[in-house]
Amino acid sequence: MVTTLGPAGFTRRAVEVLSEHFTEPVWMRDFRLEAFDAYERLPMPGPPDEEWRRTDLSGFPWDAFDADPEPVGGPAEIPVLPPGVIFSDLRTAVAKHPDLVREHFMRTVVRPDESKFRALHAALWNAGTFLYVPERVEVAVPLRSEAWIGREAAALFPHTLVVAEAGSRVTLIDEFGSYAGGWGAFADGVVELILRDGAQVRYVARQDWMAAVTEIGILRARLSRDSALHSLIVALGGRVVKGNIESLLEGPGATSEMLGLIFGHDGQHFDLHTLQEHRAPHTLSDLLYKNAVKDRARSVFSGMIRVHPGAQKTNAFQANRNLILSDGAKADSIPNLEIMANDLRCTHGSATSRLHEEHLFYLMSRGLRRLDAVRMVVEGFFAELVDRIPLEDVRVRLRGDVDRKMVQ
Amino acid sequence: MATTNPMGINAEKYKYGFFEPEKYVFKARKGLNAEIVNEISHMKDEPPWMRAFRLHAYDHFTKRPMPKWGADLSTINFDDIYYYIKPTEKQAKSWEELPEEIKRTYDRLGIPEAEKKFLAGVGAQYESEVVYHNLKDEWEKLGVIFLDTDSALKEHPDLFREYFATVVPPEDNKIAALNSAVWSGGSFVYVPAGVRVDIPLQAYFRINAQNMGQFERTLIICEPGSYVHYVEGCTAPVYSSDSLHSAVVEIIVKEGARCRYTTIQNWSTNVYNLVTKRAVAYRDATMEWIDGNLGSKLTMKYPSVYMVEPGAKAEILSVAFAGHGQHQDPGGKVIHAAPHTQSVVVSKSISKDGGRAGYRGLVKIYPGAKGSRSAVRCDALILDDRSRSDTYPTMEIDEEDVSITHEATVSKVSDEQLFYLMSRGVKEDEAMNMIVRGFVEPIVKELPLEYAVELNRLIALEMEGSVG
Repeated sequence: MVTTLGPAGFTRRAVEVLSEHFTEPVWMRDFRLEAFDAYERLPMPGPPDEEWRRTDLSGFPWDAFDADPEPVGGPAEIPVLPPGVIFSDLRTAVAKHPDLVREHFMRTVVRPDESKFRALHAALWNAGTFLYVPERVEVAVPLRSEAWIGREAAALFPHTLVVAEAGSRVTLIDEFGSYAGGWGAFADGVVELILRDGAQVRYVARQDWMAAVTEIGILRARLSRDSALHSLIVALGGRVVKGNIESLLEGPGATSEMLGLIFGHDGQHFDLHTLQEHRAPHTLSDLLYKNAVKDRARSVFSGMIRVHPGAQKTNAFQANRNLILSDGAKADSIPNLEIMANDLRCTHGSATSRLHEEHLFYLMSRGLRRLDAVRMVVEGFFAELVDRIPLEDVRVRLRGDVDRKMVQ
Repeated sequence: MATTNPMGINAEKYKYGFFEPEKYVFKARKGLNAEIVNEISHMKDEPPWMRAFRLHAYDHFTKRPMPKWGADLSTINFDDIYYYIKPTEKQAKSWEELPEEIKRTYDRLGIPEAEKKFLAGVGAQYESEVVYHNLKDEWEKLGVIFLDTDSALKEHPDLFREYFATVVPPEDNKIAALNSAVWSGGSFVYVPAGVRVDIPLQAYFRINAQNMGQFERTLIICEPGSYVHYVEGCTAPVYSSDSLHSAVVEIIVKEGARCRYTTIQNWSTNVYNLVTKRAVAYRDATMEWIDGNLGSKLTMKYPSVYMVEPGAKAEILSVAFAGHGQHQDPGGKVIHAAPHTQSVVVSKSISKDGGRAGYRGLVKIYPGAKGSRSAVRCDALILDDRSRSDTYPTMEIDEEDVSITHEATVSKVSDEQLFYLMSRGVKEDEAMNMIVRGFVEPIVKELPLEYAVELNRLIALEMEGSVG
């Protein structure tokens, strides 16, 4: 079923109609309209901005899309949960837990006035998941949520908000995709993760849009004392993907593991910016992003480790590995450091290479066909990363993804 | 606190904060307009093409916006700078002919003595023009040309025009455009095919007038199979208001030739040091930049090598030391535009007393540059909790058949290292000194002996008072 609420384009009227369609409380409607003001006020980022040097959206047909009023989004299934845990789609949460949502939604982690696309998301968010885990509650089973692009010219604004109270533990696997069809579509997502003292969160985002999707998004986590985040970003689909993945380590003892698996084929363009921001002493961040590109695909890894004054005894590690599989594919790597404390250990490394003929030759001399030998080397390239995920079904899935990308 | 380092040098005596009273033959007005550019060209009695070149560059300078990236350049007042000063009427041919006050300055830097022992020639830049040149007869016999750039324009006009501004065109960046409009002095080096210049060619540069800009222009041409090592060092007296140093260095390294360019920069801490250095390396040629940055308020300098034919090699070694109020933003660029090209970049930066030091670089691999290899290594040492280190490498790789690595570490002087040395009877400040020297050793060992000594002295001087 194709649902639209009016002409395409991101207009104030579209915001009002969407809010009305969702029968939202006044505060959310006002929040959206204020965000839309910011959207109109803020400049469109472009190549003169350092962060947008490698992704040029000028000429993008903004008027061709409209916010899908009925996208599929929210929990994929709801298992039996410990008392007090809230796991629902965001629209339901706005109605049933307004205080909790209002306290956290786009206020303390990601703000609408940060940039044009954050503002647009805040004005037109239309899908999403809310997960709240009370103090010292442990959710044993991994939770799954999703958001889907369901038709041509749809704009999807998925929002994931996770609040993990002190001492809680939870795993969330977030899936993003489009239903069959190489539709021209637009996605502008925000993921906000709040980790209170001692909380432990594992978050997996797997994105497998169909071909013609343009995606802009951010994942930002704020980590309090002794909390631990393990994040994995899997980017496989879309035509142009521009994302930020940020961990703000704000309490002593906080740790953040940041993993990324990116595989581009055809003319895909992935531009991912990571931030490891150490604002407190005794914090640890450990980042590993692996990008493979074939055909004419291009990947950009731009990482920043920033250690603020006073964040002593920090350990910060950043590694980017790129594998270029074809003539014509490109991989850019920009691993930056800004260090304003002295008592720390901080390293970053980047390596870009091709398939080594010796490795292939070795495997082929053992009787493997060339295609299988290449596949094996690429699997080996990603294995270091995949093996760090303690979820068997995710690992199996990722191996399948890599195999599929090899022949796509 | 006076420190005597293990080489027996009393650092207290080695302060470069002296200066001579100004005495100039001609002094242009402050600020810049087309008329002053014309006047500079007229004073120098230049051919019309150079005047047109300067005016074109000036035009570009006025139109080009200030770069937005990197350090803060908004505090430079281009209207508060002298763009040309001529220190003496004519070029001195021997040391004895130099004016007394200039000789005194150089005596304190130890140049004549050094020259007796080691040097092939001294191109000493006192103010905006090279005042002293000495080139050993044997190089002249081999056809090596080592002149100040102004004289080269007059004496070798065809050779000059063939290469000048071919590596760094005036449109390259705003600061290079400024240099192109008002350049004065610098060195011109021509090494004929197959000639090896075994002893480094050296030039000392000084800034000595308040609010004075130095815009020297250096051009080095290495014909096929030749070798030359060019060394420049800078020390400057301390003045109160900001001054600007903006040089352009162009190097052409032809087939199978090798060029090494060494800089020890110790401008006083009020100098903006904005320098464009670039080399083009042809088939199987090798270009090496060795770059030590200790002084200046702000240094932005990214020596680059364009490897345009197969087999070309680039090496960039960089040391930066930032103390109180200093921002060192050096780096390097290696452009792989041909197959089987190789580059190595090693950067060592030290920051203390609130200083900010780092590395900004680019590795670019063009499509078709098959079999290219690049390795970049950046190490930073932060000596206290008020200082800062930045690393901004960029790798753009448009080719499959390559091997590119980048590594960086940031660390402090560990208590274990200090404890170990102190348990051997070394005092704390000396121990600190030794650790810092060990940190920069891989680069210092590439320097000619007297520069290695000077760099160690300067670091010892910078390290004063860093303990306790």
